[in-house]
Amino acid sequence: MPLEGNVNEAAQNLALGIGTAIGAIGPGIGVGYLIGKTIEGVSRQPEMRGELQGMMFLGLALTEAITFYALLMSFVAFFIGK
Amino acid sequence: MIRRLLWLAGALVLALAAPVQAFAASEPKTDPTKEFLLEPWIEIPKIGPIDLSITKAVFYLILSTAILLVGTLLVVRHLRLHPKKLQAFVELVYDFSETQIGRASLPAKTYTTWFPYLATLFLFIWINNVISYLPLPVNTEHKIWGVIPSPSFYAATANLSVTLALTLVTFFATHYVGIQQNGTVPYFKSWIPPVSGAIKLLIVPLEILSQLLRLVSLSVRLFANMLAGHLLILMSVSLIIIIGNVFVAILSVPVGVFFYCFELVLVANLQAFIFALLSGIYIGVAAEPNH
Repeated sequence: MPLEGNVNEAAQNLALGIGTAIGAIGPGIGVGYLIGKTIEGVSRQPEMRGELQGMMFLGLALTEAITFYALLMSFVAFFIGK
Repeated sequence: MIRRLLWLAGALVLALAAPVQAFAASEPKTDPTKEFLLEPWIEIPKIGPIDLSITKAVFYLILSTAILLVGTLLVVRHLRLHPKKLQAFVELVYDFSETQIGRASLPAKTYTTWFPYLATLFLFIWINNVISYLPLPVNTEHKIWGVIPSPSFYAATANLSVTLALTLVTFFATHYVGIQQNGTVPYFKSWIPPVSGAIKLLIVPLEILSQLLRLVSLSVRLFANMLAGHLLILMSVSLIIIIGNVFVAILSVPVGVFFYCFELVLVANLQAFIFALLSGIYIGVAAEPNH
């Protein structure tokens, strides 16, 4: 059966949605590990709290940026494919 | 306290939702991605391929530079031993950039030369990120009563050209420091890791590639964070107009307010810090490659 309607636009919408969704899985797991391990570390050594928090925020920014790479490429597919 | 905050948040949501009914019926339908198109406000003739016209992004860059210059000059003119509010704040920012960025990343011998660069980078990006969340009258497409540009927000750092330019400065500074501190041949030799034989052929291209990929990761991280943040807020508010139903506001405006607070409190500060810190780490590693 041949596809009817605007297939190109449908593919672009799918690219935006699926691309962002898949790109968010990995960083989600990563951020979860990161904050979980930080809590673990702080509960073992509460006096290290400040140092660990600093490192956590650095890792947080590096990890969550990966979501935005996926989002950016999805936007490229969404807007430039037109 | 919490009850008062909730009342405040409720009032904010209602105030933001109030003008929506008028907008919901308007034609043509709004498109939040149009906020990121740059149209020249003052046209300046092109010099070859270089376009020097004053656009929204240039306006934001000039504004942030002006805030930085005026703010710091005001403080430096009247230095006090017992600092008042503004001086105390500037001292706090200086102290933060010294301990958390400068001392944390640069080795002692390059510290005095390159700390000013890192602090400037941090302050410039930070001011740019923070003022990008203030609603300023910059939307020249839709004018109130045909005269005043309607309030909107845009970040200079949500533009790849700006972040890439900043990244290129860091990139060239890194290799300049590396060559200056170690000499040309020892510096490029330090890219070759101490492994033997055929693995070298595999690792050396990877090392060169990772040096070039820093350009991409450093610039795109800041750019995509700011772009996605602004787009998320604009999208959640203009969802009402796109769908065309006022009752969407009950759900989407609180989401917009939440993301606004999240972006302003966490992302805007964190990304400026990360950009400066990573620049410092790259420069520090180039200065002392064997550590």
